[in-house]
Amino acid sequence: MIEKKNASPEMDNSAGEAASRAIRLRVNQVWHEFVLERDIEPTETLAYVLRERLGFTGLKVSCDEGACGACTVIMDGKAVLSCMTLAVEADGHDILTIEGLAEDDPVIVAFAEQCEPGYGTAMQCGYCTPGFVMTAKALLDANPTPTLDEVKEALSGNVCRCGCYTAVAQAVLHASEKISTRGGGAHG
Amino acid sequence: MGNPYRPRVPRKYIGGYRPRIDGYGKASGKVQFADDLTTRRSFPDMLYARVLKSPYPHARIKHMDTTAVEKLPGVRAILTYEDPEVKALKVTNAGWTDGVDILSYDRMMWYPMRDRRVIGDWARWVGDEVGLVVAADSETIAEEALRLAKIDWEVFPFVLDPIEAMKPEAPLVHPELRETNILPEDPVGGPDVFLKKGDVDKGFSEADVVAESQATVHNPNQGSLDNWCCVVEWKDGMLTVWSNSYEAQQTRMHMSQMLELPLSKVRVISSFVGGQFGRNDTGEQPFFLYTALLAKKTGRAVKFRQNNRESFLNSRQPAIYTARAGAKKDGTITSMAFKCIGNAGAYADQTMFALKFGPAEIAEVTLAHIPNVKMEAYGVYTNKLPACMMRGVGNSQFNLSFGQIVDVLAEKLDMDPIDLAIRNFGHEEEELPNKSLVEVLQEGARRIGWENRHKPGQGPVYQHVRKRGMGFSFHPGWHAEWQETRRGKIEVSFRLNPDGTVMLEAPTVETGSGSNTCNFLGCLEALSFLAIRPEDVHYSQVVDTETSLRDCVQTDSSVAYLQSEAMMVAAADLKRKICALAAPKLGVKPDELDIKEGDIFVTASPDKHMAVKALLWETDLGPIISTVSREPLDQMTGIPFIATFAEVEVDTDTGEVDVLKLVVLHDCGTVMHASGAEAQQLGGQVMGLGEALYEEIIYDEARGVPLNFNWIDYKIATMADFPPVEPALMEVWKGGGEYGACGIGESTLTCTPRAVLNAIYNAINVRVDELPVKPEKILKALGKI
Repeated sequence: MIEKKNASPEMDNSAGEAASRAIRLRVNQVWHEFVLERDIEPTETLAYVLRERLGFTGLKVSCDEGACGACTVIMDGKAVLSCMTLAVEADGHDILTIEGLAEDDPVIVAFAEQCEPGYGTAMQCGYCTPGFVMTAKALLDANPTPTLDEVKEALSGNVCRCGCYTAVAQAVLHASEKISTRGGGAHG
Repeated sequence: MGNPYRPRVPRKYIGGYRPRIDGYGKASGKVQFADDLTTRRSFPDMLYARVLKSPYPHARIKHMDTTAVEKLPGVRAILTYEDPEVKALKVTNAGWTDGVDILSYDRMMWYPMRDRRVIGDWARWVGDEVGLVVAADSETIAEEALRLAKIDWEVFPFVLDPIEAMKPEAPLVHPELRETNILPEDPVGGPDVFLKKGDVDKGFSEADVVAESQATVHNPNQGSLDNWCCVVEWKDGMLTVWSNSYEAQQTRMHMSQMLELPLSKVRVISSFVGGQFGRNDTGEQPFFLYTALLAKKTGRAVKFRQNNRESFLNSRQPAIYTARAGAKKDGTITSMAFKCIGNAGAYADQTMFALKFGPAEIAEVTLAHIPNVKMEAYGVYTNKLPACMMRGVGNSQFNLSFGQIVDVLAEKLDMDPIDLAIRNFGHEEEELPNKSLVEVLQEGARRIGWENRHKPGQGPVYQHVRKRGMGFSFHPGWHAEWQETRRGKIEVSFRLNPDGTVMLEAPTVETGSGSNTCNFLGCLEALSFLAIRPEDVHYSQVVDTETSLRDCVQTDSSVAYLQSEAMMVAAADLKRKICALAAPKLGVKPDELDIKEGDIFVTASPDKHMAVKALLWETDLGPIISTVSREPLDQMTGIPFIATFAEVEVDTDTGEVDVLKLVVLHDCGTVMHASGAEAQQLGGQVMGLGEALYEEIIYDEARGVPLNFNWIDYKIATMADFPPVEPALMEVWKGGGEYGACGIGESTLTCTPRAVLNAIYNAINVRVDELPVKPEKILKALGKI
């Protein structure tokens, strides 16, 4: 497989047929270019390309049919299911995976630290956690001070079989507090 | 804020409310699961295996033409039921062990039930792996290749219902093994009537009141997000397996015995697993074997990963229970009898364990004071997906019956069921009333507001059609140490470096239960005499059979304390070794020394002392190693009690049930990690409520085809469905050892369905006895449809 990492898609204008079939994904602020049917198949999902070809294994593929939310990434500011998005649909778009968040991102830190009495921890097995973190991130980017009901609504597309919903909701509210205190939750 | 529990013994680390040690790694996506460690990027040359699944509930492959399969570009190898290396594989089952021990082929627990051929020619349920596996450049190619096989099937009659399957004229699921679908006598759990104490008929005749009940558990699925997978490489006679199996040693044993390789030539590596919930208890899965054979055939790494639909490969053991109980007018129970019929599905695996183990255990530690008890159970083959374990071993199923008969009997006696429970139930180590049961039930009653409970159906009506009710159920807790002796050795090791840092080895595959955090805290607690700080401890959480001690199998939540108990022994040994090194320097004998807060001192004259760190730099500078390999303590201590209390609101027009509040109570002995334990108590309710109200595998009964092997049609609760749940941790009972804890993971949901069903009855005065209680069942019970 050939990958090209460029500062922008415009910088690479390989002539001919290949260019017309080029797929460019901007992942965590870095452009990756693929030639369709040479580097990737048209049927490949965004989840597959991110994980298997680019190594962004934070997102998980569990149900692979849009029912669990474990593969959630942020595309152009919105939470999307990368298993339900073809890589070709993401051509030219801006994608944020959990690897693109800052080490001290308030959502990550709030999920990691969640432990106060009565709520439990925000994860057990942790398989669904990156999906929840990215869904929460998209929510807080759009609405930095959500109510508990708004959190539940936004996160109700993600399944946590360990059942840490009470703590996850609490962690999102804590992340909201952290963002207010720090004055920003910009992408890392 | 909740109500934080008060620890019986305040400790520096164990028992605290604190984050998980893997919290940051998991929240940041950095923790690598098996699927993450085995991407195409990591194994560029890797092939992908897919297996043929039967479209028929019962059929045999008469002939298969694989010409087109082999011609498809990208297909690198195939194996069929006719290949010699496949035929050479011994007939097996997928449940060699009860999940905690290590067992060989000859000593597998249910040796009379060797009923599985690895990719054989006979299919016994829709979804059965049969006849053909393909290794190809991609999963897509492998899938396409399977579709190209031309198969001539011989289709047989099938049976799905266990009662039908018990009849002599029923189609036989395993005609090669048995002339009946009823499973043979169980070598582990005993005969069909597996428990007989006193004379139940005499006990019933002496009773003033006799109650009867019936309860049915269907087949909820474990629903782990981390689909089962393995990558196998077979190079230079050495087999290396990466997988999300939670039992590294037993996976090694399985592959070694089935592939006839020396144990030294099989290496199994496991790290984090995304939820287990009992699914992997049938760990001796055929896919490990055919993936290995494909790796041998191709000389390349081969990956097999089930998809979400294939993860519906087994379910909680279904059970149809009938119960009978008799009591004197004062509430003294004279006799109890339980009978269970369990649908084993197409393969026996651990069916008999679920049907007998859970009930036998509750009889031992809960019915010890009931003079007359009889229990019987029958496992029955059908052409449905196999049954297995799911967060417990038959305890949820039994509780659905047990908690019901207590409720029914109490009503007949005009007694509060809490009083009836306290009057009769406890383990043999203790006189009645059982202190743990009393405190758990009283605390639950206080928290739910039990004093406001009305008679069945006699509460106020809300919004013209909505009625409320309260119920509870109780059960013995999950295992104390004496109930874990069949595990064999528990192994841990400390390596104390000269700079005072510690390498902790406590191998166990972290499946989410939080035992890695408990082990980390247990290490800090055990080594507190060295003034160890969290940042001083390195804990490798990868289990590798080539380099690790024996892994403490993550089947059950007892791992939360088993290795920490062993660490107390290892810590004492380490202390002795340090004292032996210090003795000549301080001019005394080792037994005249003690160590506190990182300082070694002469007990009789504490002014003679030196810092441990100073001593360590004067040694040979190798780590001081203390390794412990010990059997679990067999001190009989009984087991504490647990309970769930529920308040529900039933819409009598739509049949919909809203759970208003759950209180989940666990007497834990010692809470090892409070935040983790509460996470279990809360989280278990996703499954508990799901099983009570909506989770169910649905079959097209006419064709024998499962209809909802996916998470759109199989309903799992999301955050929007989750009710208020109050976790209550308690420390009343204590087991053996330093902590005397018990597990709680399995038991967090054991009582939930029954508590909810008793509450529904209390609301509407009609019982629905079959899970899940969907709206149509309520409306039917109310006579509205």
